[in-house]
Amino acid sequence: MLIAAVAMFDSRAAFSPSAGTQVGDVGSRWYPFWAATIMGIASVVVGYRALTTPQGAEGAFEGARSLFAVLKLALPMIGYALLIGGIGFRTTDFTYRIVPQFGFYLATALYMGLFAWWLGRYKIWWVAAITVAFPIVIFAIFEIGFRVSLPKSFLYSSGLLPF
Amino acid sequence: MEVFGQLAGGFATALQPINVAMLFVAVVLGLVIGVLPGLGGTSGVAILLPITVFIAHGSLPGSDATTAIIFLAGIYWGALFGGVITSILFNIPGEPWAVVLLFDGFPLAKKLGKPGLALASSFVSSFLGALVSTILFTFFALPIALKALEFGPAELFAVFVLSFATLIGLGAEAPMKSLAMLALGLLLAAVGFDTITGEQRLNFGQTSLLSGISFVPVTIGLFGIGEILASAEEQGIGFVENISAKLGLRDVFEAVRELRKRLRLVLSNAIIGFFFGVLPGHGATAASFLGYGLARQYSKNKENFGKGEISGIMGPQAAADSAGVASLVPMITLGIPGSPTSAVIMAGLFIWGLQPGPVLFIQHPDFVWGLIASIYLGHLLTFVLCLLAVPLLAMIMRVPYAIITPFIVVISIIGSYSLNNSMLDVFITVIFGLIGYWLRKMKYPLAPLVVALVLGDSTERELRKALIAGHGSPLYFFNSGLSTALIVLAVVLVAIPLIRTIRARRRRAAPPAATAHP
Repeated sequence: MLIAAVAMFDSRAAFSPSAGTQVGDVGSRWYPFWAATIMGIASVVVGYRALTTPQGAEGAFEGARSLFAVLKLALPMIGYALLIGGIGFRTTDFTYRIVPQFGFYLATALYMGLFAWWLGRYKIWWVAAITVAFPIVIFAIFEIGFRVSLPKSFLYSSGLLPF
Repeated sequence: MEVFGQLAGGFATALQPINVAMLFVAVVLGLVIGVLPGLGGTSGVAILLPITVFIAHGSLPGSDATTAIIFLAGIYWGALFGGVITSILFNIPGEPWAVVLLFDGFPLAKKLGKPGLALASSFVSSFLGALVSTILFTFFALPIALKALEFGPAELFAVFVLSFATLIGLGAEAPMKSLAMLALGLLLAAVGFDTITGEQRLNFGQTSLLSGISFVPVTIGLFGIGEILASAEEQGIGFVENISAKLGLRDVFEAVRELRKRLRLVLSNAIIGFFFGVLPGHGATAASFLGYGLARQYSKNKENFGKGEISGIMGPQAAADSAGVASLVPMITLGIPGSPTSAVIMAGLFIWGLQPGPVLFIQHPDFVWGLIASIYLGHLLTFVLCLLAVPLLAMIMRVPYAIITPFIVVISIIGSYSLNNSMLDVFITVIFGLIGYWLRKMKYPLAPLVVALVLGDSTERELRKALIAGHGSPLYFFNSGLSTALIVLAVVLVAIPLIRTIRARRRRAAPPAATAHP
């Protein structure tokens, strides 16, 4: 219900300068510049209003528990997205791989399994069943049914798995 | 009448086996999405949007772009009906437009012990509302489109400005927040190549950003992932009471009898819902609240409202479904989405290689009329399915959180990846998921952002075309009567909330000021 004034002001401010730098020529820069300006003005007004209207003591999160509930969901998701492509870093000459490319299916298996085991607290064979079943069903629907090619794992390139 | 011939052709298209099959699949999916509290209609349509690319390009035997739109729209119809089931049975709204049904739907089911009647009244009035709206759609669409064909860049830009203005002016309590989101959307749309000169901009030297930030991963993130994160906080409440969800024929007959008593209310709400839905920026949710207000206002027994009054179910449902259908009208005829969901559907049209707007009626009449015919069929199908499958749908609520949540994330990621086979899109989805969650928390409206993102490029193009034609003079917009009128209307719409807040503040500020200076 209540707005965390400072945090919001920050989040608005973080958006606007990214593009407000494009001052100058009336050609292609003109339009984004004005869009950024309008947004800047609007965010300043919102920020000003949030700072001046009296706020309740509550922050954006209702206690640490709900913050934790969101993080429990957000962090595995980020990890999942990273796993699909593999984790590594690139210089101009070399690509270092710290974690090999898991591809979509293996990452999905791990991700679904993690949730079933950690949040669902299922028996271990249920976790195993979920881990195996979901990637296979998804493979059947998308790869075979819709002919969508999803990222393959390092086991695919070495010929061990069909995905 | 020409319309009937066209409509008959549309039915011929919509009744092809593949289209009927996909409509069925879509409606079932839509009902499921509607029932799941963590997943809304807009998210559902956004997540499944990439799949429609494969449908549109003939991955399934006999499928084409018409099949794809029938599929996407079908999800929406399903979600429109399905969202109310959990409101009535479990006191948990499955969709934002079903919130209103908590007031009277749940009491009728629980306290008065008539869940069947509550559900049946909701379905019957939804169906009638949608039917009225579809009939209006059938007759209004072509004239609007033909008129719009005469538009030049100045008029088109004025129409865009008007639709943005309605988002700000009529959009709930915080016009400045709407404005900020609108500008952010326009800004994001501007990333990549400039549409007129081909210059690069806002890509910060990244080649992967050159093609622009595509709409689909952003929407999947904002709605799909954002909603999942937002509902994660409320997981402690996910307690589902065991309530009988049987729906007998007797309930349906009783609902029809009740409907006949309230025919005037339902019909007038449906018509109001239609015109409300045609306005850009307002989908079913706003209409449902309006419908409830009207039902209460004109009721003879106001004291029954909140205790399980059937008018409190039928009024909002008729308006909500009618507005949901109507929100497709400006999208198809003018290329301006009437609601976030229709913005997503419109993005689909772009991806399938179709240009929404008046030209669609001339170049692809089979597509447009196939869609219109499918709205009739879709609602009939949804209605029948609802009557038959309520117990099954109610069971979906028992699918555990630990499976459904990661599964939605998985489907979202498949969706965002498969459109361009790009991992960048996956990361955009994840990042916008976090942003979407945060914006929700901060009570920023998401509709202006999405609408601006879809319309950004065309708005800029028309604006600059008009400026080029007018040799840089903004007066060019006032050359034609229509564009002048539209811009004036837009200014008025933006000014309304501004004046209202200033007035409210003066009134609030006045008494303390008087005491401070005696």
